[in-house]
Amino acid sequence: MFLYYVDLAWRSIRKTPFLSLLMVLAISIGIGITITTLNVYKMMSFNPAGERSTQIHSVQLWSQGPDSWDEFDVNRTYQDVINLRSANLAQRQAAAFRTGMALQSDDESIAPVLQSIRVTDSDFFGIFSVPFLYGSAWEASVDTEPAYQVVIGEKLNRTFFKGENSVGRTVYLNRKPYQVVGVIKEWNPQPKYYDPTNGAFNDAEEIFVPFSLTPIEEFEVWGNTNGWKFEPMLTYNDRLISEKAWIQYWVELQGKEQIDAYSDYLAGYVEQQQALGRFTDPKQPRDKQRLVDIAAWLAQNNVVAEDNKVLVGLSVLFLSVCLVNILGLLLTKFLKRAPEVGVRRAIGASRAQIFAQYMVEVGSIGLLGGVLGLLWAVGALQILSARFDIADGLTRLDLSMWLITPMIAISTAVIAGLYPAWVVCRTKPSVYLKSQ
Amino acid sequence: MLSMRNISKVFKTDLVETHALRDFNLEVNEGEFVAVTGPSGSGKTTFLNIAGMLEGFTHGEYLLDGVDVSNLSDNKSAAVRNEKIGFIFQGFNLIPDLNLAENVEVPLRYRGIKAAERRRRVEQALEQVGLGARMKHLPTQLSGGQQQRVAIARALAGEPRFLLADEPTGNLDSLMARQVMELLEKINQAGTTIVMVTHDPELARRAQRNIQIVDGQVCDFAASGLGQQQGLRQDQELTPLADLAADFAAKAKASA
Amino acid sequence: MLHIKPILSSLLRSKSGPLLLLIQIILSVAIVANASFIIHERLALMSRDSGIAEEEILSFNVYNFDPSMDMAQQNKQDQQILRALPGVISASSTNMLPLSGGGWMDRLVDGPDVETAKSTPGFAFYLGNEQMVDTLGVKIVEGRNFFAEEIRSSPAESGILALVSKPLAQAFWGEESPVGKIMYQGTDQQVEIIGVIEQLQGAWVDHRNFEYSVIANVDWGGQGANSSYMVRAGAAALPGLKDSIIAALHRENPNRVIDNFKTIAEHRASSYRDHELMVTILSMMVVLLLLITSLGLAGMVMFNIERRTKQIGTRRALGARKRDIMSYFLVENYLICLAGGILGALLAVLLGQQLMKFYSLPKLELIYPLLTLAGLLLVTTMAVFFPARKAADISPALATRSV
Repeated sequence: MFLYYVDLAWRSIRKTPFLSLLMVLAISIGIGITITTLNVYKMMSFNPAGERSTQIHSVQLWSQGPDSWDEFDVNRTYQDVINLRSANLAQRQAAAFRTGMALQSDDESIAPVLQSIRVTDSDFFGIFSVPFLYGSAWEASVDTEPAYQVVIGEKLNRTFFKGENSVGRTVYLNRKPYQVVGVIKEWNPQPKYYDPTNGAFNDAEEIFVPFSLTPIEEFEVWGNTNGWKFEPMLTYNDRLISEKAWIQYWVELQGKEQIDAYSDYLAGYVEQQQALGRFTDPKQPRDKQRLVDIAAWLAQNNVVAEDNKVLVGLSVLFLSVCLVNILGLLLTKFLKRAPEVGVRRAIGASRAQIFAQYMVEVGSIGLLGGVLGLLWAVGALQILSARFDIADGLTRLDLSMWLITPMIAISTAVIAGLYPAWVVCRTKPSVYLKSQ
Repeated sequence: MLSMRNISKVFKTDLVETHALRDFNLEVNEGEFVAVTGPSGSGKTTFLNIAGMLEGFTHGEYLLDGVDVSNLSDNKSAAVRNEKIGFIFQGFNLIPDLNLAENVEVPLRYRGIKAAERRRRVEQALEQVGLGARMKHLPTQLSGGQQQRVAIARALAGEPRFLLADEPTGNLDSLMARQVMELLEKINQAGTTIVMVTHDPELARRAQRNIQIVDGQVCDFAASGLGQQQGLRQDQELTPLADLAADFAAKAKASA
Repeated sequence: MLHIKPILSSLLRSKSGPLLLLIQIILSVAIVANASFIIHERLALMSRDSGIAEEEILSFNVYNFDPSMDMAQQNKQDQQILRALPGVISASSTNMLPLSGGGWMDRLVDGPDVETAKSTPGFAFYLGNEQMVDTLGVKIVEGRNFFAEEIRSSPAESGILALVSKPLAQAFWGEESPVGKIMYQGTDQQVEIIGVIEQLQGAWVDHRNFEYSVIANVDWGGQGANSSYMVRAGAAALPGLKDSIIAALHRENPNRVIDNFKTIAEHRASSYRDHELMVTILSMMVVLLLLITSLGLAGMVMFNIERRTKQIGTRRALGARKRDIMSYFLVENYLICLAGGILGALLAVLLGQQLMKFYSLPKLELIYPLLTLAGLLLVTTMAVFFPARKAADISPALATRSV
């Protein structure tokens, strides 16, 4: 029976090519726009941490004085980071910030490249599930006893070491030798959830050096440095002892018990710092600390652009206009066919059968519109990414769209078709049987 | 075969209540060919719609083939229509996008009959009406008489026990009308019960029994011996001539 | 003669068709009004003048990785080299690039006492030498530029002078001239204001203090391994400038990475890219929406005319002129459009309020729904006109034919 309905639907679509084209176009344009914006939204709102999202926490402290910032900053001061690190109370913990240096190897024929670098602790790789190709992170002891060691990415390893196992070899950062201890596999989470502060869709760094080297090497800060009061910053040491926030601090905690325990510790830490004359804002110590898991962290950093939310909203409204448009056209078309329905009803078609027949027709239109709409969306994303230089991660069609698109298309059409099909299947057959 | 007892049908609008049928009684026996006549507005169409189960009624009882079909659900009445009743309309009512074979096939589709069996029956039905060679033609390529024969084939394909014809020759010239009438008679002789609504007294005379509907009631003056003249009032006995005149007047008004 | 009453009553009787059209128009007006408002907002943002010779300024980054290098000395030498290149008008080191999305934001206070001092709003804090004004192509409208001998190498040194942008001067000092005022950074670092720049934008195109800028007399290039420069050159010299800069600086010292070549116009383009994207998508939406609405309307009018062919024929037979028939359909359309437009405008305002509440969008101005309605009337008139003309051509003879 279904095939019969499909056959009838196809005949009906072909019989009124203009009207059918109009409907397919309307639905496809609505779908095209919705899928385009939805795809970007979905890419933006993706949480790369997956199920580990609730285990990874950004430690945030209200270190500012009164009448300054009115929200938690995403970064910590160096002194707080050093204190938290030495307490060493979480399952895993890592400080992190971004710097950059010129990279060279013993092979003089390869031109030096300026590389974005992450300065962090050995636990970073475990916390963010970074996969290793060769070797591993530096020993935990390096986090307290600084050593010139480095973890590099697969791509750099190909450029500088022809893809061989380079563990034990040497690279030069600003002409200083660092020993390679690990090579990580291609790793580029989108959004760049471990640090979205300088572009949530930038590529991941390919060089990682120990945080413990910071006071020795005085790594330039390539991320944000936020201050809430005037502090002269003439030397690197000024930076290290300042109240300026520029380091992200991560802890891994399993379950409510660990989280509560760590919160208690942080509240105690704040109290202790208050006694030392810091954390001067009149707020309860407990309210001056918080642990932010990855989902909340991505929201805090506005990874999903507001414009995109507006666009998704407007495109859903747009789709609803298309829906109403199709509803009108379908009603028009179906009512025109009421006499035929009368005959079919007289001959023994039940209301349900008529309804099914028309819903199949509507569904077919939806499907056609959906396929066309998906093509529009792919085209639009291509054009947008070429024209506006959007990160590839945002304009690649998400696999789920292959499922979502026909679903939205068919359900839009079906919603639009419900009323017309209901109207037409409710028509009294006798009215249309008399010849006019 | 068909038994209507004390059927009433009232149409209500905000302003008026119209009694389309009142205490309507009719028995049609298996294998009969009954012609129903009556002036415009007498309730012929209402009777036809009720007999064909296209409409419900207000009071009374309707037995089709011994089964009470008075208050069936939409699904069930559609199934009864599909299996037991064949329709022939004045306007043929073929579906213009479907070719002849596909048109004839429609009732079989809704009955869920397998493709091979469908084809056999369609061929047979079209053969029966003499259009076996034109299966792939579209209705618009046929003359009115041919279209009506297709409609008859469609009604026959479902092998109904009971055929309802509404002015089957109304849109045809006299030659074609005669052909269609002969076809109907042949079908009747093969055992199908036929009830035909018509204006044409000449056509009506060819039926075995004539029933006249006046003011929503049966006024049966054909010799049937079934004793159903009850409820017939003296003042309702119109002469056939007056009937025709009234009918003509009504028709003239309708097309104005 | 417009017979509104019979049209209206006929509309009210045929429920679903016009109702659907009404809903569609309501939604369209709400969307189009808000979309065009946002478009207009963004276009206004994008068309702001930066006050800078964007097309003529090439910016780039030098990363010196030789630890033995004397950075301050190298910086001075590099700028000499840059200024000597053919076609170069002027060059300056800088700590930040205008319209680039990244840079320094700072505040100054008007006294040494932290408790009583009043703070300026946040501003973009440029550090540059005496050539920066020329390099940027900005105009000093009051006071003077720095002299070469006044240039310092760090903002912490004494003798810091500043040029402020006029919008900042007006925001903080009002009509009073800021020239000669002494401002403070912290408690003891003094900054003397010596001039006012007509216009100079900062780095962040979406920041509310975008027009507030200060240039201080600091040659920042020698501060660390990483230095940024701006070079202003004539249009003819600009295309080959990148290669000649790399060649010249590498000849001087090969131990550096020289990259991130971008004109300020390119920085501007990438900073406004999201707005441009928004404008593009929203414009597409508006056009497509009007298209779909009008095509849908045309389809429905055509069907209505087909259905009412006999009625129209009868009207013609009874003496209706062609224009009576046309005006019937047009008036019918206008009635629906007006009703939809008014309700749509209300919805647009509501939607605008929601957008304002949840996202940082400004309040919708009423002119947008009104303009949308006007546009819609125009588009739908066209959509109705052609089918209606066809209807007017229906022969009166049709009335007598029983189809």
